[in-house]
Amino acid sequence: MSDDIIVLKDLSKIYGNGVQVRALDGINLNIETGEFVAIVGPSGSGKSTLLNMIGLLDTPSSGQIFLKGIDVSRASAGERAHLRNRELGFVFQYHHLIPEFSALENVMMPMLIAGKEKAEAQETARELLVSVGLEERLSNKPNQLSGGQNQRVAVARALANGPSIVIGDELTGNLDTKSSDLIYNLLRELNRKINQTFILVTHDMTLAEKTDRILRIVDGKLVCELRRKGDLFIASEACELGEDGGKIKRS
Amino acid sequence: MQNGIIPAFELSVVSRHITYRKWRTFLSVGAVALAVAISIVFISIQNGFSDFLFDIVFRFLPHITVSPLEGENYIHLYRGIIDTAWMLPGVVGVSPSLAATATLAYKDQSDNVAMIGIDPAEADKISEISKNMLQGDIGSVLGGRRIVMGQALAKKLKVKMGDTVQARFPDAVPVNLVVSGTFSFGYKPVDESVTYVSLKTARDFLNEGDVVTSIDIKLKDPFQAQAAAEQLRSYGYNAKDWQQLYPDIVRTLAFERTQNAITMLLLMIIATFGIASIMNMLVQEKTREIGMLMAMGATPANIRRLFLLESGVLGLMGAIAGCALGLVVSLQLRGVQIQSGMGETMNLPIAINPLDFVVFTIIAVLLSIVAGYYPARKASRLDPVVAMRG
Ligand SMILES: Nc1ncnc2c1ncn2[C@@H]1O[C@H](COP(=O)(O)OP(=O)(O)OP(=O)(O)O)[C@@H](O)[C@H]1O
Ligand SMILES: [Mg+2]
Repeated sequence: MSDDIIVLKDLSKIYGNGVQVRALDGINLNIETGEFVAIVGPSGSGKSTLLNMIGLLDTPSSGQIFLKGIDVSRASAGERAHLRNRELGFVFQYHHLIPEFSALENVMMPMLIAGKEKAEAQETARELLVSVGLEERLSNKPNQLSGGQNQRVAVARALANGPSIVIGDELTGNLDTKSSDLIYNLLRELNRKINQTFILVTHDMTLAEKTDRILRIVDGKLVCELRRKGDLFIASEACELGEDGGKIKRS
Repeated sequence: MQNGIIPAFELSVVSRHITYRKWRTFLSVGAVALAVAISIVFISIQNGFSDFLFDIVFRFLPHITVSPLEGENYIHLYRGIIDTAWMLPGVVGVSPSLAATATLAYKDQSDNVAMIGIDPAEADKISEISKNMLQGDIGSVLGGRRIVMGQALAKKLKVKMGDTVQARFPDAVPVNLVVSGTFSFGYKPVDESVTYVSLKTARDFLNEGDVVTSIDIKLKDPFQAQAAAEQLRSYGYNAKDWQQLYPDIVRTLAFERTQNAITMLLLMIIATFGIASIMNMLVQEKTREIGMLMAMGATPANIRRLFLLESGVLGLMGAIAGCALGLVVSLQLRGVQIQSGMGETMNLPIAINPLDFVVFTIIAVLLSIVAGYYPARKASRLDPVVAMRG
């Protein structure tokens, strides 16, 4: 319990007033510090909704979210913003970089929001961009960079304030295999080096298979869980893998 | 958490928006600048005109005039009124005068004029006659049968200093007067038809005893005139302050002031709407980015401050540009010649008051912040997830 960075208790999310959509239905989940987790499932199953809950971008209809042991499920918008700034990093399918700012300035942004000194922010941002292989592109604007390069800038930005959890929603969804692998390897390396927790939503099973733990949700319910054991994945007991889980080597 | 009054994060985003979207910046700054510039020009002209009118009141006209009682031609026991007047607070001059109409004749020239008997020392305090003397001096009227007249009148009558003119009028005692001075106030009606003589000369001409037709009073502060006149009336004298004597001046000023205030307010409001709609468009356009900024930890307060700061900065830029433009135009207008009510050409009176620039800048910035309020609030209330979806 003490090592769990995220604990979800009976978490549900219902959208809409008239026609109600139960996007999440009684999710119970513990994620340990330093885990590298993939969330998979069919379209519309609630993956993004779950990720937004963990990322404190959205509030649950019922149930609780604990971040580092603290219940944050009813935190105010301002409190959640501060927590996101310090504890969380986000990368989405679309990079959402600010077009008027250079790569360096975009990466500085979360640090400026945190109130860090400009010079310090600049130095950290530079180091991060070097680590994602963009040392030559510091002063380029998003429209002067390729999709993969922009996504790497977005990754650097997500890491700016040294978050304990990095969240990615289809972060390689728009990229070719080569760029995608590059980013994945980058994240994996960070995960090993500084024990950062990564939670990635993906529909790409080859990417999911490179993580340590695969969670599958269908219709807002957690239906299957696989944990890496060497080269194999061990399924939890009540695991009904869909057709997309076929290729996974299981014990 | 935030260091400094203007946080680095908000400022960096705002300055980028402003420098990158030049057309948008130009439009919003331009709208405010025009409103401020036009307002500055208006107020400078208005101030110029009221200064001009007040100048007349302060320098050439009495602040209070005591006239004969209803149904009488003269004030008989005027010395008591003079003593009373001197006891009013802030009195600087009390001038009795006896006005007569006379036909002045010199050789084959003649003209009807106002011949005013005065005590030159006191009259000078009311109308600054001695400052406007061209030849001789106003005190000379005390030296017997003397007359001081406007330069324009002297020209019409073709008289020179030292010439003797004859004053006559039905029922009056004709009198010969030596021209002992000429003046020019710069107002044709005065310069062509006003003459000064001593009180004694006027009485002899009218064949009257120790009487006057009016007592003019000058105060240190013209705005005390109403109260002072009130006091004189309470003693039973027929006293009127300058606002009653020259209601046109007061009406003109009040009318112009209201009209200008309304125009300026409308201009500012239109400019404000410009900023509001441009800010609204910006929020619309930037919705995804706002969502991402929020995901990165920008609080609703950060976002609200950002857009308020941006509209405030646009307003400030507009105000500064408008002040500069307004100053240039006002200075240019100073050289414009206009026809005064007196038939003279004069420069358009322009009074440039630095305080107006400060006031309009503050108004423009405040209104711009108000204009940014709704878009800023809209932006701060966005749900980051929904916003990022666009
Ligand atoms: N803001 C919303 N209002 C109403 N319904 C919503 C909202 N957001 C999501 N939903 C619904 O909730 C369900 C789960 O959506 P979610 O985006 O989490 O799916 P997903 O697993 O991420 O799908 P995909 O793989 O296509 O991205 C869907 O049925 C969706 O229509
Ligand atoms: Mg999704």
